[in-house]
Amino acid sequence: MSSLSQRRLGRSLLLHLFLTPLAVIWLFPLWMMIVFSTMPDNGIFSPGIELLPHDNFLANFHNLQRDTDFVGAIGISVSVAVTYTVLSVLLTSMAGWALARYHFVGKGFVVAIILGTITLPYAVVLIPQFIMVARDFQLANTWVALIVPPLFNSLGVLFMRQAFSMMPHDLFDAARVEGVKEWRIFLFVALPLARPMLAALAIILFLASWNNYLWPLLINSQPGAMTAPVALGTLIGLTKVSWGGLMVGAVMLTVPMLVVFVLLQRHFIAGIAAGAVK
Amino acid sequence: MRYQNATAYRFLTPYLLIFAIFWVWPIISSFMISFQATRTVPWRFAPTFNWGRLIGDPAFFNALKNTLLILVIQVPVMISLAIVMAVLLNSPLLKARALYRFAFFAPVVVGEVAYSAVFRLMFNLDFGIINKLLAGVGLVKIDWFSNVTPAMALIMIAVTWRWAGYNAIILLAGLQSIPEDVYEAATLDRVSKVKQFFYITLPLLKPVIVFCAVLSIIGTMQLFTEPFLITERGGPGGGTETLGLLLYRQGFRSLNFGYASAVAYTMAGLAITITLVQLWLTREPK
Amino acid sequence: MAAVTLTNVIKRFGVYEIIHGANIDIADGEFVVFVGPSGCGKSTLLRMIAGLEDISGGEIAIGGKVMNDVEPADRGIAMVFQSYALYPHMTVGQNLSFGLRMTGNPKEDTDRRVKRASEILRISELMARRPKQLSGGQRQRVAIGRAIVREPQVFLFDEPLSNLDAELRVQMRVEISRLHKELGTTMIYVTHDQTEAMTLADRIVVLRGGHVEQIGRPLDLYDNPDNQFVAGFVGSPKMNFIKGRVVGRNTRSVTVELVGEEKARIIQPLAGAVPETGAKVIVGVRPEHFGNAGEGDADLTVGIDVVEHLGGTSFIYARTAHGEDLVIQRDAAKVPETSEITVSIRKSYLFDENGQRLR
Ligand SMILES: Nc1ncnc2c1ncn2[C@@H]1O[C@H](COP(=O)(O)OP(=O)(O)OP(=O)(O)O)[C@@H](O)[C@H]1O
Ligand SMILES: [Mg+2]
Repeated sequence: MSSLSQRRLGRSLLLHLFLTPLAVIWLFPLWMMIVFSTMPDNGIFSPGIELLPHDNFLANFHNLQRDTDFVGAIGISVSVAVTYTVLSVLLTSMAGWALARYHFVGKGFVVAIILGTITLPYAVVLIPQFIMVARDFQLANTWVALIVPPLFNSLGVLFMRQAFSMMPHDLFDAARVEGVKEWRIFLFVALPLARPMLAALAIILFLASWNNYLWPLLINSQPGAMTAPVALGTLIGLTKVSWGGLMVGAVMLTVPMLVVFVLLQRHFIAGIAAGAVK
Repeated sequence: MRYQNATAYRFLTPYLLIFAIFWVWPIISSFMISFQATRTVPWRFAPTFNWGRLIGDPAFFNALKNTLLILVIQVPVMISLAIVMAVLLNSPLLKARALYRFAFFAPVVVGEVAYSAVFRLMFNLDFGIINKLLAGVGLVKIDWFSNVTPAMALIMIAVTWRWAGYNAIILLAGLQSIPEDVYEAATLDRVSKVKQFFYITLPLLKPVIVFCAVLSIIGTMQLFTEPFLITERGGPGGGTETLGLLLYRQGFRSLNFGYASAVAYTMAGLAITITLVQLWLTREPK
Repeated sequence: MAAVTLTNVIKRFGVYEIIHGANIDIADGEFVVFVGPSGCGKSTLLRMIAGLEDISGGEIAIGGKVMNDVEPADRGIAMVFQSYALYPHMTVGQNLSFGLRMTGNPKEDTDRRVKRASEILRISELMARRPKQLSGGQRQRVAIGRAIVREPQVFLFDEPLSNLDAELRVQMRVEISRLHKELGTTMIYVTHDQTEAMTLADRIVVLRGGHVEQIGRPLDLYDNPDNQFVAGFVGSPKMNFIKGRVVGRNTRSVTVELVGEEKARIIQPLAGAVPETGAKVIVGVRPEHFGNAGEGDADLTVGIDVVEHLGGTSFIYARTAHGEDLVIQRDAAKVPETSEITVSIRKSYLFDENGQRLR
């Protein structure tokens, strides 16, 4: 008996001895981000090893705001991410619902192309998308340009299809027999029941939009139209830039998401893990 | 179930519309653009103009080589690490599980720009904390940004840090769907934990591992932000230039859409080929 | 209220034909039960009547109107699902009124109907609860209530009691019977439980493998089954089937010898065609139709395996010399202590090799 529990103890010790340094390494960049954001520039570029936060955060923030209108960019990022999330959740769950609930001509084809696009690099559509939005539609540096093209999303549709097809279809049939219109069944029966899944999807979509870099970099490159990551990205590599300020920007982009992550971990993980549970 | 074409397509239309405009048409369009000389006005059909140039372009082969190098080293390392993370996080012996999960999963929410900036600072030659720590334990400083090998290593380290936890989440979900009693039966049969991992966990997890590998390959294939921001536009001297970066420079700096489209299709071809090979190699025996 | 008529109804899923031309006439106000083993197509047939499944061939009419292309909501039906299909995020009250609210029914009328249904089913005090906070029986009532609220011409039930425990099932069965008397509406009820079918139905439709095997009143099916399947399906414990051989015939009767029992002969009068001498037949005997030795046609001595005492009556599980299993019903007092018993066959049914009734 005691040898069994001793073995367990030994194994547990080994596990923690391995995992703890790894966890520290993994948290280190995030910790340093916070430390840097509180250090004056001459502190960052000094020979000593600094591992604890200082008190220069506000000054750094002013430096950042001097280098670029970061607060304005954050405003754009928030509005775009919220709008994108709402629209995308709606679009994706409508499509997922159609695939889960109805038999229709061309269903197999629709599913096949959605699956196919998972393996297709975004790079393939990037250039024509850019030409179309910037040149043909003349929409560069608008919100529409940031929000609409990324609305197509294949994993989300598959996730919602899965969510809806796991619900007992008798529920929807019952409503149908009662004469409830399909869009009302979707709105008042299916969506409320899918709330946890919708939350997971919304979080993932919000995060994707919030962190999106390449497309906004290409399409909204004018100072007043940049999202926060793009605005921050323009500062990286400049010679006369406040690195403390840059780190404040990084913190402002990251910490809110970390808080959301901690608070809504379950939904977060469900959203990401969705790919695995097919 | 009755056929309900009209209703179904009413729900699908917005989605399919976006798909048609922003994906289907671009896929076709980009294929066509790759056969045109796009630096003349108007564009001119010239089937071998871009593809011909591609075959003889050392910059393309440099980018291709770098991309594949990152792919073959970084993806296996990251997936292995993610499997280790997932298995250990799933251990019933683990205390303070939430803390460890936070540590490994947190990078998932961190944007590319934010972490690129941090990594640039951390790996700075004279003032970066990494070199200071290396010097502190008596090792030599590494010039991460001026030499190709360290620069490549840095890119791989950064990408692995950012994405290992993401894959671990997916793998952990896969692990948790393996029924507990399989392990209980194996334990009763005196199968050691290590053997259980190799003979039970890995085979049952295989589809999920393949899924992660495919997603990672497609992601790494398009690697752009890290070499763009961390090693400053693919530096040193193109040493970390990837296909994604080449596409960006050709398409959006030189406005050479035709050539960039050819690069894009090469990436797609590679991604699809590697994915298919992957699926074929790991197919279920019939 | 309405009659329901199925004419040559066919259902195909892709290339598989699941229902092979069903003809069923249901009178206005009748309680009809579809019964049959799992997978025989009961639910499919019911869902076709409801309009939830396409009709691949034939015609379904409700109240004299062909309904093939009519939306479920416009067929004047209400359906109770096996899974109850209660909306988990709504209260009982909201569940009852959902359909009416969504289709723009005037509020006072909705309230009136909900109130009436909740009174009929005695669920008035549950209105504010969620389905999760209800017992199985209460959920079932709410599901039925939701059908009543629609004031339909025809009620459709798909195995509504199969998720309940035995005792509740009996109680709800009585309740549904009462409901039918009270409302007088046509009801079509699907079950695979023959007891439910026997106790509830005005008429029973026995289905097997997508074919209608027989339609009739419960006692008609019991007393006068058309074939071996119906004979075996209706009645509990099941009818015994013993192999036999025709050893004598004239124009109006046959003599059948039970295989392996030379002395046990049965003479059966037949109105229809009489099988040839030597033809193999099957003799069906209900457990209660075994009499004491000498009472009936053939005497038969069997070995006793197990006896189940249910109180007043007992069931003897026995085996013939030829190795065929039999169930014999007896008064508890008349079960012998011995390991053998001799019984006679007081009444029997004859089936040909294909299971068709000979009569
Ligand atoms: N959507 C479908 N596609 C293909 N076959 C189906 C479909 N739905 C039902 N079937 C088949 O039709 C047959 C009848 O099914 P149905 O559900 O009507 O049986 P049932 O009599 O209600 O059985 P149970 O008592 O198990 O509910 C079954 O063989 C079933 O496999
Ligand atoms: Mg059924």
